Amino acid sequence: MRVQYGRRATLVVAGVWAASVLVGAQVPYQRLLQADREPQNWLTYAGSYKSQRYSALDQINRQTVPRLKVAWAYQMRPGVVETSPLVVDGTMYLTEPPSTVTALDVRSGRPIWSYTPSIPPDVIVIGSPPVNRGVAILDDTVFLGTVNGHLIALDARSGAVRWDVTVQDNKSGYYLTLAPLALDGKVIVGVSGAETGIRGFIDAYEPKSGKLLWRTYAIPAPGDPGFETWGPGNGWQTGGGSTWLTGSYDPELRLLYWTTGNPAPDWNADNRPGDNLYTDSVLALDPDTGRLKWHFQFTPEDVHDWDSNQTVILFEATVGGRERKLLGQANRNGFYYVLDRESGVFITGVPYAKQTWADGLDAKGRPMRKKGIAPSPEGTLVFPNIQGASNWYLGLYQFEAPCMLGNTNWYSPSYSPQTKLFYQHAREMGTIYYKGEAVYKPGTAFTGGGGRYVNGDDASGAIRALDAVTGKLKWEFPLLSPGWTSLLSTAGGLVFGGTEEGNFIALDAESGKPLWDLQLGGAVRGIPIAYGVDGKQFVAVAAGTTLFVFGLP
Amino acid sequence: MHTSRKPHVGLLLLLAGLLVARSGAAQPGAAQSGAAPGDDVRAGGVMFGQLCVTCHGFGGGGGAGPPLNRPKLLNAPDEASLRAVISDGIPDRGMPRVRRTTPTELRQLVAYVQSLGATVAAPVKGNPAKGAQLYAAQGCAGCHIVNGQGGVLGPVLSDVGRLRGAAYLRQAMVDPGAVLPSGTLPIPSRGYKEYLPVRVVAADGQVVRGVRLNEDVFTIQIRDAAGRMHSFRKSEAKAIQREEGISLMPAYGDRLKGEDLDDLVAYLSTLGGVR
Repeated sequence: MRVQYGRRATLVVAGVWAASVLVGAQVPYQRLLQADREPQNWLTYAGSYKSQRYSALDQINRQTVPRLKVAWAYQMRPGVVETSPLVVDGTMYLTEPPSTVTALDVRSGRPIWSYTPSIPPDVIVIGSPPVNRGVAILDDTVFLGTVNGHLIALDARSGAVRWDVTVQDNKSGYYLTLAPLALDGKVIVGVSGAETGIRGFIDAYEPKSGKLLWRTYAIPAPGDPGFETWGPGNGWQTGGGSTWLTGSYDPELRLLYWTTGNPAPDWNADNRPGDNLYTDSVLALDPDTGRLKWHFQFTPEDVHDWDSNQTVILFEATVGGRERKLLGQANRNGFYYVLDRESGVFITGVPYAKQTWADGLDAKGRPMRKKGIAPSPEGTLVFPNIQGASNWYLGLYQFEAPCMLGNTNWYSPSYSPQTKLFYQHAREMGTIYYKGEAVYKPGTAFTGGGGRYVNGDDASGAIRALDAVTGKLKWEFPLLSPGWTSLLSTAGGLVFGGTEEGNFIALDAESGKPLWDLQLGGAVRGIPIAYGVDGKQFVAVAAGTTLFVFGLP
Repeated sequence: MHTSRKPHVGLLLLLAGLLVARSGAAQPGAAQSGAAPGDDVRAGGVMFGQLCVTCHGFGGGGGAGPPLNRPKLLNAPDEASLRAVISDGIPDRGMPRVRRTTPTELRQLVAYVQSLGATVAAPVKGNPAKGAQLYAAQGCAGCHIVNGQGGVLGPVLSDVGRLRGAAYLRQAMVDPGAVLPSGTLPIPSRGYKEYLPVRVVAADGQVVRGVRLNEDVFTIQIRDAAGRMHSFRKSEAKAIQREEGISLMPAYGDRLKGEDLDDLVAYLSTLGGVR
């Protein structure tokens, strides 16, 4: 049994403890930058700026995981839970639906403080459930986005409000579900709301004051490069391009990577003929100015609601004989992409789930779209689902049943530097896509169609391990149904994930073999993390509306 | 462990086709709705044809879902509740929520569904009293509960007359394997086939055959013909076979003819809940 954490990392814990007792939570930018050096904490949404959702802790490993037990549980407010907690020096910062943040003592699970903003009863949340995916911390401040379009700074010790700013008026359908990303001297957020015809943007705020430092729109204005991709009308003004999931960051290149969502209206492109830049793209931004350095568009002129907001994971590998800085994403359109993250140049793109809409990607990564795949009044069956091969909640008529949601959605993938594998949950489900009318009225649905999932026994899911560079399938663990599970990989050689039926599972990261599982009694849609306290490793995940924490007895 | 999966859509379309062919009910479109032939009703009828007809039947005559051509709907007695049912669904009973309709579209759909209440539902053929005698004589109560009495291998039928159209009931008896029930389990089925026959060879070689009650990635729960529940850890079973395309309910197409079938359908159509 390896106890690496027991020796080296414990010393770090002790040091940090002392500091925290004296001055409370203190997370300067330097700690965020080197988050991988303190695996006992989980300091950013996806664990580090590379968004690998990988834990270097290995006390829970292939040998010990069969003994894993529940350490404690915490019951949240009612609602849909899709949150990824932070853990900082003995305190967990957990968000509850729709926009509450609660600080918990990680030793006992007991709440220390909880903050619930005032959300008006007529809040407009169209395009997803009213969820929150987590908070950011910088210095001694916790940053929370809310479903009524606010960004709020809270004292990490008490939950007291430091400032509260309106990112954008919710009356037009803007709302926030993402965990903000804290950098040096700025807090970055994006917005949800393409299903109401918003014009998406990425904002940077001054952490001490809440002052807006810069705003970069995901859709160019007249005169800007890319504006010509919106046709002759005014479609760009209501063109969507939400920015609803936390980005990644390369401090050496000084590039912030942020992803964008579907053009609006989702299923009717009549008023937006063209590629619709920069929807369904990844943008590389200068974090100091918000200036666009490069972009890559995954799905031009999208008519299936295949947001490209999925987490982009940063990793390094040898490609063509030289070490490259890469970016990987399993996109909701069913393809896994690898880009050179310095230049934005396309390297690889292969399907990782069933797709019936493209003949493949060309040399530059642009899809070669098949004929007859567009939504129609009578309905068009296409894979992936509206929620993508890996995404969620789209469509004009959204049915509870699975798959307008594409092959993926918001849920986190994981990358293990140990195995060099990219772990992704894939949804195998089609959708019958409908085209309908689209009339813009602020704060109402502007989707132009919808979709009916082809679900039940005819759909399935899988946790897949892909070679991160080639996208080649290394193994898969089949799931009964397409789920919403995020994945966590660890130095213990494990991948943690869950199912819609409530199973929480530890798989062998090399082979996909199940090594441990437990029925949690609610769909596992929380995002797993790992942390340590008092020399012991824990894994935390929410199922239903309960947060479960697991450790070795 | 996963058996091959058949395309579900084809089945649904087939069912829709059967309903049209057998029910002789109103054709799509609002022409026969009987209400003021407003634009809303017409437009709503088109949407109904896209979204609702698969379960509720053409003209709202019912099918795998409840008939809507009645003056008062149980879960949607007024306009506000009808809007809510369309927007939020009744997921536990198999009715999906229809989201992202524009206010106009929602109004149109509501107008069309309400117009169906003014249509005169075709009277169900047959003699209910004779049907009740047949229900007892054929041993239906061995597997089905009516008003709290009966077996549990098949769905409870206490309110099946309110929940299902006559054409569907007839079809379900003539060829039960053609379409398994939906929205009938006492837990939400989330789109999964209900009463799916499954055959399990346990670790000790014992063979268990029954209907699936529930399932997750690692376990499966089955009720056998004697009404016993079995729970298996999948990794410990020697074989698990899903018997797609069949039902454990015998097909009564050969046993019941003409008037007898009409009478049984007429009896089931009277079942409107425990009284």
